Amino acid sequence: MKKIIVIMFLQVFVLSCSKDQEVGYVPVPLALEAPSNFPELTYNLDNNPLTEAGFELGKSLFYEGKLSVNDAIPCAFCHEQAFAFTHHGHNLSHGVDGAIGLRNSLPIQNLAFLNEFMWDGAATHLDMQPIIPITSHLEMGETIGNVVEKLKSDPNYQQQFERAFEDGAVNAANMLKALSQFMVMMVSSNSKYDKYVRNEDDVTLSAMELDGLQTFENKCASCHATDLFTDQTYRDNGLPINPQLDDKGRFDIFEDPNDLYKFRVPSLRNVEKSYPYMHDGRFQTLEAVLDFYDHGMVENGNVDPILLREDQTYGISLDAYEKESLIAFLKTLTDNEFLTDERFSEY
Amino acid sequence: MKIIKFAFAVLLCTSIISCSSDDDNNTTDLTGQTGTLALKFDNGVGDQDFIFGVTYNKSNGESYQLETLKYIISNIRVKDAEGNTFTYPLENNAFIIDESNGNNAGEIFVTLDNVDAADYTEITFGIGIDQERFAMGAEGQGDFLVEAEAAGMMWSWATGYKFTRFDGTFSTGELVDEPLNIHMGSVGTSLDNYREVTLSFPNTVRVRETASPEVHIKADFAKVFDGETSVNFADGYGQVHTSSETTPVIANNLPGMFEVHHVHNN
Ligand code: HEC
Ligand code: HEC
Repeated sequence: MKKIIVIMFLQVFVLSCSKDQEVGYVPVPLALEAPSNFPELTYNLDNNPLTEAGFELGKSLFYEGKLSVNDAIPCAFCHEQAFAFTHHGHNLSHGVDGAIGLRNSLPIQNLAFLNEFMWDGAATHLDMQPIIPITSHLEMGETIGNVVEKLKSDPNYQQQFERAFEDGAVNAANMLKALSQFMVMMVSSNSKYDKYVRNEDDVTLSAMELDGLQTFENKCASCHATDLFTDQTYRDNGLPINPQLDDKGRFDIFEDPNDLYKFRVPSLRNVEKSYPYMHDGRFQTLEAVLDFYDHGMVENGNVDPILLREDQTYGISLDAYEKESLIAFLKTLTDNEFLTDERFSEY
Repeated sequence: MKIIKFAFAVLLCTSIISCSSDDDNNTTDLTGQTGTLALKFDNGVGDQDFIFGVTYNKSNGESYQLETLKYIISNIRVKDAEGNTFTYPLENNAFIIDESNGNNAGEIFVTLDNVDAADYTEITFGIGIDQERFAMGAEGQGDFLVEAEAAGMMWSWATGYKFTRFDGTFSTGELVDEPLNIHMGSVGTSLDNYREVTLSFPNTVRVRETASPEVHIKADFAKVFDGETSVNFADGYGQVHTSSETTPVIANNLPGMFEVHHVHNN
């Protein structure tokens, strides 16, 4: 009898405790600062102030199958942490009912510093980006309205929304804000290279890595610029066109012939892990990428003029050592802290 | 006699003035008072009512018929005689005018609540969604996003609103019953197809707690293709989506559709 009373007492205690913690809006602010070697933040935090509860809700949503029509395909299905949040091993991502998408998944990292999203810039605000995968028939095949209804009927989400937002409403605006809060916090800035350029922890690069950096600055950094390793422009780097996909890239956005076959210059952070490469994932290794730059380029009608060599062929000439050292350098962009950061992990 | 007439006139004048100054007093007394303002959108083609499936002719002899006719109206604001502007609250200030939601007379109502009581002389509204609102991200869209999605007014391959959704078929001299789809909006920040139109009211619109005026706005669909610029389906204007050449031409034609036909002060 005594035991039962003690248990009951304990239960009341536990219940009231968890109740206090869980219900109601408790805005514990989260800080997001640009690392010193990064450009300025582009995401406007004033419209969506970061809070712990908002971030946690965003994370739940990112790993939530209910965002898809068959309740089985969460965002993380195509954006896996260990591979810099890309779709590991898939050149083209597949979604609901095994439908094959048109492009290789992009890493979710440093999005707070980008102006536009997707390979072709189809999303111009991070908050609105999730509408594309959620509603695409090749990805999650749902409607935003339906997802909101599913979340509304889940008591766990009702509580999470209450904690995350002042109005506590389970609605589309708050869902998208929470996803953004999670995604803008995903900053990868602690690779060996970062520590080297910021003079942290006495990190140095090997002679070969330094040679690779030198080659990179001479031959690659005009497009893969800044410490984001992209100048965020759309360019055609001379990939032979795959007639089966006939992906016209940025052309699809404005139907402007000048944009044919142009894709956003991708960041090269964590590139060691984000294989396969290019918008259609056609190359499995960095060696294959460099061989392509050296001698695989074709005149597909719109190749970037800076890739024109003196002999009137397109490409970036690289000798064996340049390739080897470039790859050594690219591997210094791997940020293991980010790839294993528990704040972003499912469990 | 003349003097009497004159005196009478003076009297009349003063009474009118005092009357109108009474009104003025009323206006100042209106602070804090709000009322409802109804906008009635009525789509037509020239001097005909718009009806789904009916074939309409363009100035160049081409013809079309529609199954879908929807467009987005936003940022509605009204101005009074003194130049004060009342803007409907941002979070609720976007509407889909969908012909298929019309009453039997083909009229679609937009009802604005809690409008400041005043004597309004003109209205301004936008066609589509402006860049500033879009740049606010989720914060700026509120529940309109879900409404627009349900109405098929959002793209799924890119993020953004379709400002217009006109679907049907067109015929030219050579082509018969080709698909007609005008799904256009702004694309990113570089292609801004949001436009605004300002229309003055033929008579004052008196919004009061006790009076809910109704503004009858006619939208002449013919102006979409025969407006500021006349366009030919034969030149690709049967399919208008994101092209930076064709979409601004249609966008510039849209404001010319609208006219305030009359006002009821109830
Ligand atoms: C079926 C696979 C799949 C699913 C599910 C998926 N994505 Fe993606 N994601 C992709 C692909 C593929 C791309 C690149 C597409 C393109 O550029 O056209 C991408 C790109 C992105 C980008 C752009 C990154 C950049 O650098 O521009 C963001 C952000 C993103 N996804 C977030 C999400 C979120 C949030 C969800 C869940 C709501 C989600 N994704 C679900 C496959 C997927
Ligand atoms: C003219 C601009 C330009 C130059 C110079 C350039 N790149 Fe690229 N790079 C791009 C573009 C654009 C893409 C994406 C192309 C696509 O997928 O269609 C890309 C893709 C890549 C990728 C694939 C990344 C991924 O996540 O899929 C790697 C790796 C890469 N470049 C490395 C390099 C290296 C190393 C150099 C120097 C030898 C270099 N690039 C020079 C524009 C450039």
